[in-house]
Amino acid sequence: MKFAIAVFSPAHAPSSRRALRYAEAVLAGGHEIARLFFYQDGVHSASANLVVPQDELDVAGQWRAFIQANQLDAVVCIAAALRRGVLDEAEANRYQRPAVNLPAPWELSGLGQLHEAAQLADRLVCFGGD
Amino acid sequence: MATLHVIAHSPFGDERLRSCLRLLGADDAVLLCGDAVYALRPGAAPHQQLQQANLADRLFALDEDLQARAIENPLATAVDYPGFVALSLHYDKVNSWL
Amino acid sequence: MAKSLLIISRQAPWNGPSAREALDIALAGGAFDLPLGMVFLDDGVFQLANGQQPAALQQKNLAANLQALPMFGVDALFACGHSLASRGLAAGDLALPVQVLDDAALTGLITQYDQVVTL
Repeated sequence: MKFAIAVFSPAHAPSSRRALRYAEAVLAGGHEIARLFFYQDGVHSASANLVVPQDELDVAGQWRAFIQANQLDAVVCIAAALRRGVLDEAEANRYQRPAVNLPAPWELSGLGQLHEAAQLADRLVCFGGD
Repeated sequence: MATLHVIAHSPFGDERLRSCLRLLGADDAVLLCGDAVYALRPGAAPHQQLQQANLADRLFALDEDLQARAIENPLATAVDYPGFVALSLHYDKVNSWL
Repeated sequence: MAKSLLIISRQAPWNGPSAREALDIALAGGAFDLPLGMVFLDDGVFQLANGQQPAALQQKNLAANLQALPMFGVDALFACGHSLASRGLAAGDLALPVQVLDDAALTGLITQYDQVVTL
């Protein structure tokens, strides 16, 4: 079965980690992830500039590794990301901001990508909250 | 089409669980995770609401959240992540109360 | 056939971008001609109150975006009667033409859609 997974919370929220563990279980169960979509405060889960103490879980880093290892389509909503200072190189240049915190494998795009993923998938599962 | 409702907020001072139970269909299920599992503490008002909702085998809780919070729970069926994925497929859709 | 999506919005309008971003999901889906419905529940019904003046908070008016919903093909608009009544809002005095539903009708509505998300 195909899943579209949407994340609405930042890396420090329990629900970002929960979404990651769920996504891992989806693949481990032999299912497919049509797309990961990061919206609202979920765009912070994609930030490459998070620094966590060595003895704490680096959820953003784990998301990045998971997406790369499984070559997943991971889209960050561009409007939500700009508003929260999550920028790729093109947007940092466009708005003349001093830092880039969204390198590959993440991709900035619009909300249409969420709808497309929901149409492609058998299940749309969203994660947010505590 | 039956819905799996997922709640991840503490029921104390938050309306999600109450609204969810109000709108729950006869075949719908509820999965509590994160701070929402505090609803399973016996003696608390949300626990009574859950009992009154009479969900029987349609109430689930994420096991890691129960363990982390030392909640002994006879009311909900504990599930792990593969169980969460299986529930998502057993029900026709998943409604997360973000 | 396209899958239908029901968006349940339960955020008050001026506590941050949440309400607007929930609405943006509906508007984006409408732009793709997808079968969408929107329900205003809990504090979400405050989005529908008449006569709001968000300019006092230097905020853009949400009403313009709400009124754009039917133009984007999203005309399945509903409000929870219980939420309206418990917040002192009269069903006949709202800024958007919505169908007011009781709990049983809302339960039935959720059943009809292929996918649901509550923001």
